[in-house]
Amino acid sequence: MTLIMVVDDDQDLAEMLGIVLNGAGYEVDLINHGDQVLDSFRANKPDLVLLDVMLPGIDGVEICRQIRAESMVPIVMLTAKSDSHDVVMGLEAGADDYMVKPFKSSELVARLKARLRRSSSDGANSLHLGDIVIDQVAHTLNRDGKSIPLTRIEFDLLVALAKEPGRVFTREALLSEVWGYQNATDTRLVNVHIQRLRSKVERDPENPELIQTVRGVGYKAGSIGS
Amino acid sequence: MKRFTRRWRKSILLQVTGSSVIISIIVIAVVGSVLYTKISAGIYHEKANAAVSEAQSLSDYTQSQLDATRYRTDISLTKVISGIFKASEVSPTTSVRETIMLATPATAKSSTLYQGSSHQVALSTIPEAFRVKVRKNFFSQSQRVKIQYTNRPGVAIDAIAVGRVVGIPVNSIYEIYYLFPLTQQQQLISLIRGWMFGTGIILILMIGLITWYVIRKVVLPVREVAEIAEKLSEGDLGRRLAIRSEDEMGRLAISFNEMALSMQQQISRLENLSRLQQRFVSDVSHELRTPLTTIRMASQILYDSRGLLDPAASRSAELLISQTERFETLLTDLLEVSRFDARAAILETKDVDLKIIVQRAIDTLQANEVAGFSFVAPDNEYHALVDDRRIERIVRNLISNAIDHSEGQGVVITMAQSEHEVAIGVRDFGIGFNDREADRLFDRFWRADPSRSRVRGGTGLGLAIALDDAKLHQGTLKAWGRPKHGAHFVVTLPKNPGIPISSELIAVVPSDEPSTIVTDIDNEEI
Repeated sequence: MTLIMVVDDDQDLAEMLGIVLNGAGYEVDLINHGDQVLDSFRANKPDLVLLDVMLPGIDGVEICRQIRAESMVPIVMLTAKSDSHDVVMGLEAGADDYMVKPFKSSELVARLKARLRRSSSDGANSLHLGDIVIDQVAHTLNRDGKSIPLTRIEFDLLVALAKEPGRVFTREALLSEVWGYQNATDTRLVNVHIQRLRSKVERDPENPELIQTVRGVGYKAGSIGS
Repeated sequence: MKRFTRRWRKSILLQVTGSSVIISIIVIAVVGSVLYTKISAGIYHEKANAAVSEAQSLSDYTQSQLDATRYRTDISLTKVISGIFKASEVSPTTSVRETIMLATPATAKSSTLYQGSSHQVALSTIPEAFRVKVRKNFFSQSQRVKIQYTNRPGVAIDAIAVGRVVGIPVNSIYEIYYLFPLTQQQQLISLIRGWMFGTGIILILMIGLITWYVIRKVVLPVREVAEIAEKLSEGDLGRRLAIRSEDEMGRLAISFNEMALSMQQQISRLENLSRLQQRFVSDVSHELRTPLTTIRMASQILYDSRGLLDPAASRSAELLISQTERFETLLTDLLEVSRFDARAAILETKDVDLKIIVQRAIDTLQANEVAGFSFVAPDNEYHALVDDRRIERIVRNLISNAIDHSEGQGVVITMAQSEHEVAIGVRDFGIGFNDREADRLFDRFWRADPSRSRVRGGTGLGLAIALDDAKLHQGTLKAWGRPKHGAHFVVTLPKNPGIPISSELIAVVPSDEPSTIVTDIDNEEI
């Protein structure tokens, strides 16, 4: 069964989240205090972490960074301020997605489902982008025989771009293709993940060659030497 | 020149120094020229008197010598006459005087034997009019003349000529003229003129310098105060005047600094207050979100299982969920308003096609299912650099308002663009509004008819936020309305932020509705 770790200092909200997620068929590990997160994470190995960014004790962004240091598990943040610095900080620290309070139960469940879903490998099992080999079945990335660990979102983002090399994706298109959002315009989500992806796969993240920016439009996959 | 006039008008220092210099130039010039005239006249007069008396005695002597030739054999006439000229030729170059003898016209008829002059002075030196005057008078006459020399053409020396008639034996009458050059006097006068001129210039310079120094002493601190005051009004509240003396200027500096300090304290106190207030509103809105999330999820669970509840509880679950949603919209709007009040609203612009945004709003609100709906946008694309989230909010607000108030009479959305601007008009033919209502249209929480507005759960903040959003783009939002004829809202936006709106792409007063009320709030301060 899928285990979701819910980290929220508000006990009532945590309990409510537990009820909703149980109802949707997930197992839930409720954590009320930031200090317990890492121990519980190591012990229970959840499939997804739902994290409130404004926590007493250690703050959510720091927890996000710590979890990401150990695991590529999907992390979804909960925040009360959509326009705050916290969102960008959280995304930069490794969160895959965020939800702004208040949200509907159905929205939450749909979002978590999307994050838990493994992208279906249609067509070729392996893709090449520059000197990188993407194995869509094993969900791995190799350069010169060495594996590069990616989060699921980063992997999906790379696959989306690599499947159609040369095609320019707008940020909106990527939001819909990778995150499954319709009519969404939050480009911070895309920008931050592209940055993180580049820092992992580019030889020189300052001068990206694999993932190129098309000014005023979006991004496209390039290849070394092109 | 223009630059100078501007500097002149802007500087007291320049004005006072300049005008005092000009006035002293005039005074010194007048006094100087009067003095000069008097002095030179005096000098010439003195010389003239001396010349006349000298000439008188000389001519008396000459006459007596001439007379003596009649009865004394030891003195010959020719000797006497040549002696007359020789007396003037003591010094070969600069002579104290020159002598001319001229035959009267009566004598000249028979002979001009004794005519002559010293140092080859031209006989024409003596003007005819003067000769006539001399002949008519017994006493010596004097006049200013210019001495000319036959051997030195072009030379003319100012002199005083004194002439009288002398008799030469036998029966010849001649005029004798003594010419006294004024060279010395002229030198003296030009020396005096030079001194006066020099003194005048030095005086004027001194006056200018003193005025400049004195005024500067007063103006410089004033200028400093003005500069600091400008800095203060620009918001640099930490600026203070330097206190350099204990005089009036020092006192001015002290009280000025006190004023600036108390102003700074007042302002920072008010700033703190308003920051606290805004933070409070923002914090409250955010704090409310966590419990609201719980409530929302809980009410959803109740709502989902309402089939198991009795009718009253089931209806309560429905009300609970709809009111929770309304509460959330209200909270979002409130937060937006507090952001505008705190001037913390940020414009995140990007290039978008406004037609897509309008179309999306129409789709979301299912406006095309409203009776009499039409969307008129002749061009394919309406690109502009805008904050799409805000524009979508404006458009959605106007359209949902129009649908709510259209009474099934139709809603028309139009778009128009020019090189720099793009406009969206939303017109309905429903209940409209009157003058009194028009004044309050954009007020927060104001509703034209409280009984009917909750159909779609509007917060009453929609138009206020729409106006703020439009202003943030430096665009305009205008409204027209007339009871039972409907309303027309037009938002006009610059294609690039920062360029003020200069035209009316879509007239807010519909062409089919002449002479009606227009609410034009767009120039008000937020």
